[in-house]
Amino acid sequence: MNTTQAGKRVSGDTVGAVHPEIRLQGISLVYEAGGSTVLALDNLDCTFAAGEVTAIIGPSGCGKSTMLQITRGFMQASRGTLSFVGPDGQTMTRPPRMATVWQSFNLFPWRTVEDNVAFGLEMAGMPPPERRARAKEALRMVDLAGFERKYPGQLSGGMRQRVGMARALVMDPDVLLLDEPFGALDAQTRLVLQEQLAAMVERTGKTVLLITHSIEEAVLLADTVYVLTARPGRVAAEVRIDLPKPRSVASTHDPRYAGYFERIYGLLKSEVLRSMHGEAEAG
Amino acid sequence: MMQSRTPEGDVAPLRPVRTGAAPADRLTGWIAVAVVLLAWEALCRLFEVSSLYLPRPSQIAVALVDLFLHKQAFTDLAVTLYRIFGGFAIGLVFGVAIGLAMSVSRRLQSIADVFIAALYPLPKITLIPLLIIWLGTGGPFMLTISALGALFPVIINTLLGVRQCDQGLVVTARDLGASERQIVRHVLLPAAIPSVFAGARLGLGVSIILVVAAEMVVGKLGLGARLYLAGQVLETETVFAVLVVLAALGIAVTKGLDAIDGLTGKWRS
Repeated sequence: MNTTQAGKRVSGDTVGAVHPEIRLQGISLVYEAGGSTVLALDNLDCTFAAGEVTAIIGPSGCGKSTMLQITRGFMQASRGTLSFVGPDGQTMTRPPRMATVWQSFNLFPWRTVEDNVAFGLEMAGMPPPERRARAKEALRMVDLAGFERKYPGQLSGGMRQRVGMARALVMDPDVLLLDEPFGALDAQTRLVLQEQLAAMVERTGKTVLLITHSIEEAVLLADTVYVLTARPGRVAAEVRIDLPKPRSVASTHDPRYAGYFERIYGLLKSEVLRSMHGEAEAG
Repeated sequence: MMQSRTPEGDVAPLRPVRTGAAPADRLTGWIAVAVVLLAWEALCRLFEVSSLYLPRPSQIAVALVDLFLHKQAFTDLAVTLYRIFGGFAIGLVFGVAIGLAMSVSRRLQSIADVFIAALYPLPKITLIPLLIIWLGTGGPFMLTISALGALFPVIINTLLGVRQCDQGLVVTARDLGASERQIVRHVLLPAAIPSVFAGARLGLGVSIILVVAAEMVVGKLGLGARLYLAGQVLETETVFAVLVVLAALGIAVTKGLDAIDGLTGKWRS
């Protein structure tokens, strides 16, 4: 039984795993910069539903990534509460296991692809043969079998981010955090990876938080999209995306897709204009 | 204090300017050396220059062979190498340890900064009299002076390397469950390796200078001692022969470092 479970963990199909709901209630963040206080996040209320993909979209500088850092526990909110609710409806006493995929990949250049993927397992003290096997399996899932001994510097951007995805998924986290994961990739690579990620996430049923500045990405991947305002970040709107799954590029032909796109675009446009106006006044 | 690195992050104090990568260029270089040696030989014979002032290359070659065959120069070479690399290894280990400790502890850094600021600009060679008073002229003295040569460049470059580490990698390691200790060992240290290596290059150069200088002052054994004693008794050929050995040592060390650099740097492409 144990070995079956171990095998399944790598493929991400963990049975009975805890995919928590994440609640941000009245989250505000104030920081000092150059002698004045800046309000980065203002009284945010968000719920990231268990086993669903929630996208956060907003103009640059609205505090999207800050939200992710607070959720991850790397940053303390000035006010408000962050809670994780388990499947039993009880608030979890310990934060769930989380792993992040980063916009800038953040691969360790001195480690091989395999050792990058196995990093978290190595830190947890897993013996080499086992972690190597899991890394290999995770790499196979992102179509990178055969690249184990390469160094990140020898890979293209799209391949590097697939390593980044494998490295997060091999940890079998309860919560997957995606910090603009495809922001640094070209449009074609992005489309392919979005489809791959959508399929993978759907299969595992993890709670996923996606930070993005791409409306297309948000609508294609997410069940719920939160549109944030320009600084200070507030929730401008919560948009439920009811497109059938699995979604692919073909989903963009769904008439509802255009509706969602336009709605979110309209909200974002007014925010971007507002922030540009604010900058012009400040300058 | 941080001048030891060029913008490319590659310091090559022991590496002469690379003139010839292509074989043809290299051949030109060797021909030039041969021409200079032949001209030297010819001019010395033509003007009957006393070998007391300037021995001919052929005489130097004879002295060199004699040095190794009859005068136990191998022992001198071995003793000098041991002093250089023994002390260098100590300086390297302590330098990396101190540099890493300073980079993770702000308090330690502010304490160490003062001492480094005071000691770094001091020519280490001026410490020879003090070290002789404290340690005598034996092995501990030689290893200490050699270690001191390597210590400061290694500390400073370790600090620099850690400081230049991509913060994203530190956060990533933390995200993947690494403890602070593991972050130092598995992220900060490997990220600093190219910079540490640059510091080691500088440091080894200083160690060589200091050991040879110390041997000239106090040694009975070692290439520096051999050089100084030969000079005192006007064995000019032997002086030149020892210089040739020291130059060859410098070249060998540089080539060795290049080889190690190639090994550690295979992911940098």
